[in-house]
Amino acid sequence: MGRRKSGSASGLAALFILCIVSLALFTVYVKEGTCTGGGCGPLHTVQLGAAEVLRPVRSLVATGVRPFEDAMGAAEDAIQRGDEEKLRKEAMQNRELAAEASRLQQENERLRKLLDGQRPDYRYGPLANVIAPVGDQFTNRVIIDVGSADGIKPEKPVISGNNTLVGRTTEVSRHTSEVMLVTDQMFAAGVRIVPPAEFDRTTGGLSPEDGDIDSYGEGMLRTGWEEYLGVEYVDLSSEVKRGDFVVTSGRAGEYELLFPPGLLVGTVESVSSEDIDQFKKIVVTPAVEPQDLEEVRVITDW
Amino acid sequence: MRQSISRAVLVVGLAALLEAVLSPYLTFGGVSPKFTLIGVVIAVSGLRDLQAVLLGFFGGVIFDALGGGLGFFGVGALGGLLAGILSARVGSVPRKGTEVFLLAQVAGVAVAARDLIGLAAINLSGLQGPPLEEFLVTGVLPDALLNALLAYVAGRWILNFVRGKEGR
Repeated sequence: MGRRKSGSASGLAALFILCIVSLALFTVYVKEGTCTGGGCGPLHTVQLGAAEVLRPVRSLVATGVRPFEDAMGAAEDAIQRGDEEKLRKEAMQNRELAAEASRLQQENERLRKLLDGQRPDYRYGPLANVIAPVGDQFTNRVIIDVGSADGIKPEKPVISGNNTLVGRTTEVSRHTSEVMLVTDQMFAAGVRIVPPAEFDRTTGGLSPEDGDIDSYGEGMLRTGWEEYLGVEYVDLSSEVKRGDFVVTSGRAGEYELLFPPGLLVGTVESVSSEDIDQFKKIVVTPAVEPQDLEEVRVITDW
Repeated sequence: MRQSISRAVLVVGLAALLEAVLSPYLTFGGVSPKFTLIGVVIAVSGLRDLQAVLLGFFGGVIFDALGGGLGFFGVGALGGLLAGILSARVGSVPRKGTEVFLLAQVAGVAVAARDLIGLAAINLSGLQGPPLEEFLVTGVLPDALLNALLAYVAGRWILNFVRGKEGR
């Protein structure tokens, strides 16, 4: 009986001490921040080492899971066929001929981007394959097969095709990088909204170069906890319309030029506001669905 | 009923690896399988408090190191710690026939606790988390129920494994 009591006491003491240790680990981890320039803290280094070790396992699992994902995608298409969602999609496609043409162009981008898709004043990492998703219900991230050995650094924009922003790098190990996708609830980027006629989505060029472009609206792109991608803090007087393009503005909160300007994020799906609102509520359809990502590139400098 | 510590360590380690690699594919909205917590709850139920607490803690640390879940160090460790002590306390009361059912409930509670720890970690790290009430209904509750069900389904098999021939 006495032995049992002493066992319980030591268990409770260990519980108390390890609670403190857990909180200390969390504090140190957060204080370490992300791995930029000056290297990583010890806890981030452990995670990066584990990511390297797990890389072949994740690749293997991704290969095994792909047939199931394809089958599920096909089943979803079959269920959606003929229902309201399908009709709504078709109607939207008919109205947005420009967007449709651009989507069709994406089929050829995998080859074109290797030849002439790069902006002359930008530096790109090598073409990277998406290895596997990581995280849990709070996150939407993937691992790609390029890392610091390929010149990749944390907090750099990741694009698909020539000019479509899909996320940014967070943790970078020697041969892998974690990418926080635009649909991750912790992702944020400064964006502006431009009409299709004034934006070349393959080059990111705006016409006119500056002019009255700000009147269309600027704000912060983020995915809400309701799980839709939206633009926040857009002024009520802004001339935002459904079908407009959402592109990076070149600034995000306190970060100067975290993303270069003119990267396409998506198209405006809906615009609404109530009398009591201070800002417009704008829902965005991402230009690339995260589950469709296969090959991406990191812009390493601009 | 004694359990093999080495087998319990094996179960917890494999569960952490499985969750870090497989769980992202099985995440639907606010719900995802928490194999580490299920493994800890079932594997440590017959161990002493100190052993359970240590195994839960280090299982969580392994999960954190593998970059699972939120990726914040300490969140998995704290979750594993709570799962370990809860399981050991419940496991210390002999209840023949209903122990898997009880452990499934413990797994549900442990998952709910880790979800809340995760939310607190998001807010403490300066990021914006979902509103608590909404998260309780759409995140914590379904997550706890799903994982309790998983623990119930896999519980007997895992218990038999960690107890081996001598323990049964």
